[in-house]
Amino acid sequence: MDIVVCIKRVPFTQEVDLEIDSGQRDIVKDGLAFVLNEWDNYALEEAISLKERLGGQVTVVSVGSEEDEEVLRRALAMGADRAIRVDAGNRTLDVRCISRILAKVVKDLPFDLILTGAQADDTNEGCVGVMLAEELGLPHASVVKGVEVLDKGLRIRVELEGGTEEISLIKLPALLTIQTGINEPRYVSVMGIRKAAKKELKVLALEELRLGSGSLEPDSSVERLFFPPEQGGAQMLTGDPATIAERILKILKEKGVIQ
Amino acid sequence: MKGPILALAEHRKGEIRDITYEILAKADQLSVKTGSDSICILIEAPGQGLQEGLKGWAKKILLIEAKGLEVFNSEVYKAYLLEITKALKPFLVFLPHTPWGMDLAPALSVKAGLPLVSDCVDIILEDGNPKAIRQIYGGKLYSQVSFKPSSTYLASIRPGSIQVEANPGHDTVIQGFDTPVSIPPLGKTFEEFVETGQGDVDISQAPFLISIGRGIGDQERIEEVRELTEKLGAVLSCSRPIVDKNWLPKYHQVGTSGKTVKPKVYLALGISGAFQHVAGIKGSGTIIAVNKDKKAPIFRVAHFGVAEDLFRIVSALKEKIGG
Amino acid sequence: MYPKGAEVLFIPHWIFLMISLLSLGFFLRTIQKRIVPLRQAQKDPRFNHWRLRILGLLKDGFLQIRQPRYPFSGVVHLVIFWGFVVLGLRSLQLIFYGLGIPFINPFSTEGIWHFYAQLKDIFEVLVLIACVLSIIRRAVLMPSRYKGSHQFEAYLVLSLISFLMITDIALDVSHFALKNTPIETISSKITAGLFKAFSASQLRSVFNISFLLHLLTFFVFLNILPVSKHFHIITALPNVFFKKLAKGSIKPARYGIEELEDLEYLGIRKITDFTWKHILDFYSCTECGRCSDNCPANLSGRALSPKILTLKLREHLYSTYPVFRRPTQDSQIVGEIVGEEEIWSCTTCGACERECPVFIEYIDKIVDMRRYLVEQGENPSTFNQVFLNMEKTGNPFGRPGQKRTEWLLNLEGIQVRILKKGEEVDTLFFVDSYPSFDPRSQLIASAVAKGLSMAQVDFGILGPLERDSGHQVRRMGEEGLFQLLKEQNQKTFEAIRFQRIVTTDPHSFNTLKNDYQLKVPVYHYSEYFLELFKTGRLSKKGVPKGGRYTYHDPCYLGRHNGIYEAPREILEEILGVKLVEMKRSREKSFCCGGADVSLWHEVKEEERMAQKRIGMALEVGADRIVTACPFCLMHLEDAIKTMGLEGKIQVLDLMELIISVC
Repeated sequence: MDIVVCIKRVPFTQEVDLEIDSGQRDIVKDGLAFVLNEWDNYALEEAISLKERLGGQVTVVSVGSEEDEEVLRRALAMGADRAIRVDAGNRTLDVRCISRILAKVVKDLPFDLILTGAQADDTNEGCVGVMLAEELGLPHASVVKGVEVLDKGLRIRVELEGGTEEISLIKLPALLTIQTGINEPRYVSVMGIRKAAKKELKVLALEELRLGSGSLEPDSSVERLFFPPEQGGAQMLTGDPATIAERILKILKEKGVIQ
Repeated sequence: MKGPILALAEHRKGEIRDITYEILAKADQLSVKTGSDSICILIEAPGQGLQEGLKGWAKKILLIEAKGLEVFNSEVYKAYLLEITKALKPFLVFLPHTPWGMDLAPALSVKAGLPLVSDCVDIILEDGNPKAIRQIYGGKLYSQVSFKPSSTYLASIRPGSIQVEANPGHDTVIQGFDTPVSIPPLGKTFEEFVETGQGDVDISQAPFLISIGRGIGDQERIEEVRELTEKLGAVLSCSRPIVDKNWLPKYHQVGTSGKTVKPKVYLALGISGAFQHVAGIKGSGTIIAVNKDKKAPIFRVAHFGVAEDLFRIVSALKEKIGG
Repeated sequence: MYPKGAEVLFIPHWIFLMISLLSLGFFLRTIQKRIVPLRQAQKDPRFNHWRLRILGLLKDGFLQIRQPRYPFSGVVHLVIFWGFVVLGLRSLQLIFYGLGIPFINPFSTEGIWHFYAQLKDIFEVLVLIACVLSIIRRAVLMPSRYKGSHQFEAYLVLSLISFLMITDIALDVSHFALKNTPIETISSKITAGLFKAFSASQLRSVFNISFLLHLLTFFVFLNILPVSKHFHIITALPNVFFKKLAKGSIKPARYGIEELEDLEYLGIRKITDFTWKHILDFYSCTECGRCSDNCPANLSGRALSPKILTLKLREHLYSTYPVFRRPTQDSQIVGEIVGEEEIWSCTTCGACERECPVFIEYIDKIVDMRRYLVEQGENPSTFNQVFLNMEKTGNPFGRPGQKRTEWLLNLEGIQVRILKKGEEVDTLFFVDSYPSFDPRSQLIASAVAKGLSMAQVDFGILGPLERDSGHQVRRMGEEGLFQLLKEQNQKTFEAIRFQRIVTTDPHSFNTLKNDYQLKVPVYHYSEYFLELFKTGRLSKKGVPKGGRYTYHDPCYLGRHNGIYEAPREILEEILGVKLVEMKRSREKSFCCGGADVSLWHEVKEEERMAQKRIGMALEVGADRIVTACPFCLMHLEDAIKTMGLEGKIQVLDLMELIISVC
């Protein structure tokens, strides 16, 4: 089964106190470490596991600069066969533009399945995958928690809310966006990544793709970034236990964990 | 005048999901400003009668009933919404940012050629133009996003971000949709819903954890918390000392040498918040901590804190839930 | 040909020649088979530091100063060993006699040979007693450390040695009686009565039969050596000679290879991925079990028993490179021959290596096996995030580098200099990751900073420039990551001028000193502060609280680096604390649980090491345990809480104690 996986390199911000840059449209990225987007990591592991079971090739694609090649190398070390990077120069691209670029690259690749992460750690939009599927006219499913390969097509489990899962059948070729927890992504050692330098990593300039003139116009643009109104430690709930209990239940409802 | 504001209803197993009311509330709020109608789009199977639960929430309900539409299918919904947006020329279309919505909104955006901003926590109007407010970096930052100029704008809304007040009590008109919609052969077909039970639990996948720490004091008292856990449909987890004492099996343990968990809500009872434990819950959506010691380190990382005896809170919660 | 006056043997020389040649030939063939894996194994540069090695050989090979740690076995072994040394000449004499080489007369009692005859006899009696006692002891007492050893082999060899002694005594005594040799050895005294009644021909028979049996036994014994645990008789002295001198460090991934990417894989997949010295280790194991008897993992009920590990690997080696049978397919070692839990159970404390009388190495082998697991991605998954964090942020927590100096906010009234590239300072205080980020360990870092400040030391920290020392990741098997961290730190070191490094933690101390190649001296705070006290730069003002104090030697300060006295001097001489020592102290210290794997992986065990250690402290009536390592502190404090002993016993860090009275 030939699989294409679209991946993204994102800043590692778990403990970091983020700063908004002078342009107000992005964060200060100096001094930040970068990693493979967590959802993409799961998608990649899923692709490589499928390849190991069924044979075929895994191609990883990413739109980004030379620094982004780091995650492509990691993917190759994990077991991907080929990597492609599309260099988009300094352009600001939104999810719609990325999906067009990926569509142009991917449509000429041999594939039975395309996997992407359900969303990205940084922008948290969750759009590129399904937009890419629509560009390519492929059946698709989002937030996939399980993949079972059948004779013709796949049986997939989609993670809905409250512990409910939706089982569906999907025809191939298809695109799935992958939810975290579907598998356990393998670790690749620093040595493993160095060794993967021998595998193929192709770089395409955006111009080579010959996209239409309007293709690189974004559908949406960030106007400004700002910090959430509250910050700091826990909001302490006070009052007698009954009042506190009520507040807690309200919070639980708000967060959607109880009805 | 601006076109109508549409809101797509999401339902499952015969129930309208809460997000629907949230996006209807936002549609209603904005329709007042634009002076146009708020219209709820409901796609269901004949006889499901879900429109009853939506009366009053929007000026109109566009009801599409056809065989086989009990369960959401993004290809089907996309086909209908494509025709609906062509016909109604709405100003805004609100979709739920749920797994189903994530399967639909981006596809619709591409198919219809309409700009989409997803996972919005709010939509505002500036000079008559819609702007989306979103969160990025896991909620650390907010971003205000503008759309490319268009006749219709798509926005998917994050559940739980819009405050729903009361039913606005519109005199809702229920309409049908006559335009023929051709549904292409489906690439994806529904089989069944499955409830993932508890039993040998994987706490790292649980959306709601109630976690106990040394504050529990006694092995027997774990039962009191377990009862609460069952009532709330949560999963029981714990910090390391509990497992060290063999009071709970290892798979309940949260922390660096246990499991890393990312529940929507983590209710920590009697957990001091040692670094190794806290590292395992960092990715949690909301952390509510209950600890007698108001200087317990957990309060630095929790979103909500209660400096109180955990058993008093547990009893109070059980009373409120009743049953 | 016989020496003048010597008794002629019934069996002609040529038969003895045949026997000798056949036996020797057989023996040499076996040895040749045993050499094969040595040559196929990996390089290991041990042909250096000749003087040290020779001294070591004298001390540990000949004097065997480790042996008497187990008094009975120790003495017995020394007796048997020296017996072999003394009797070596005897065996040679008898062989020459049987072969008809006349120069040496085994039965001469002239001059020095009179002395030798007495000496040899004393040893033969002692060896015989030693063997008999050993047989009885093994059969009746069965010390627990012998479990899993090959009992039959042990009995067989003890019996053979006993038989050798008996037959030599018999042939000697019968010869003396026959020739009326004027000598009185112990044996001749004991057996005098017995042989008085024998006729000359009977004596001749006894002599000949004993002689034949003795030589046959000798050759049988010789050939049993390389196929039993008694191969150590041949390999132990070389093994001691080639012992590891570079304490505390871990061997490179492969000696002689610079570009590790060129290797097909790292670590141990098959048996010859070990170095030749490690193969020699397998040959030299005597199955004495002292390693496992002192291994904290084994004593806590973990899957690891060092002795069993060595024996399993030896079995595998023997079946892959057999002497008689067909070779079997070399299977993957890790996961098949050796279990993964076994490999992760080790805390690299070094107690096994400290005990082993033949200097078998364990830590390098286990780390090499871990390297393979990590490269294949078969390590516990909890490590993955830790490794990724280390790579991306230079600490296991994933906290950003800028926050590495947050602990400074807890320091009131003290300004700590954060060094930048190009600057100069007298002392570089290498804080490392846990003391920078972990709340409990931060207090120790603060104490060190306060102490340095009080002593007016010109010091600074690297702050955001500091990356984890890499001590943990190296021992967990992520060699590439260790090299990365080391490179990053060394680049920073090169950009700053300093006279010495002082560390918070024995692990950073060990790695910077032994795994990095630094030109400046590296100190753990204990040694450095002793110096500060002694040179009057710091002085005690207060008195420590009363109580019964004991000191827990951290493995990486004590056993791996030999620093036992500095902390004790500080406690007893400088701070005036009276210490009571636990039974297991100094090099016998019992590991607290370790500072790497145990932090991120629950190893199956019956009792936590730290809990056992608290038990040992309670045994000597201590209510305060002082230690000099943040991880020991963490584990011991945890154990006290779990055991419900808060208020009864507490753990203190040495630096915090120092600050409390200065």
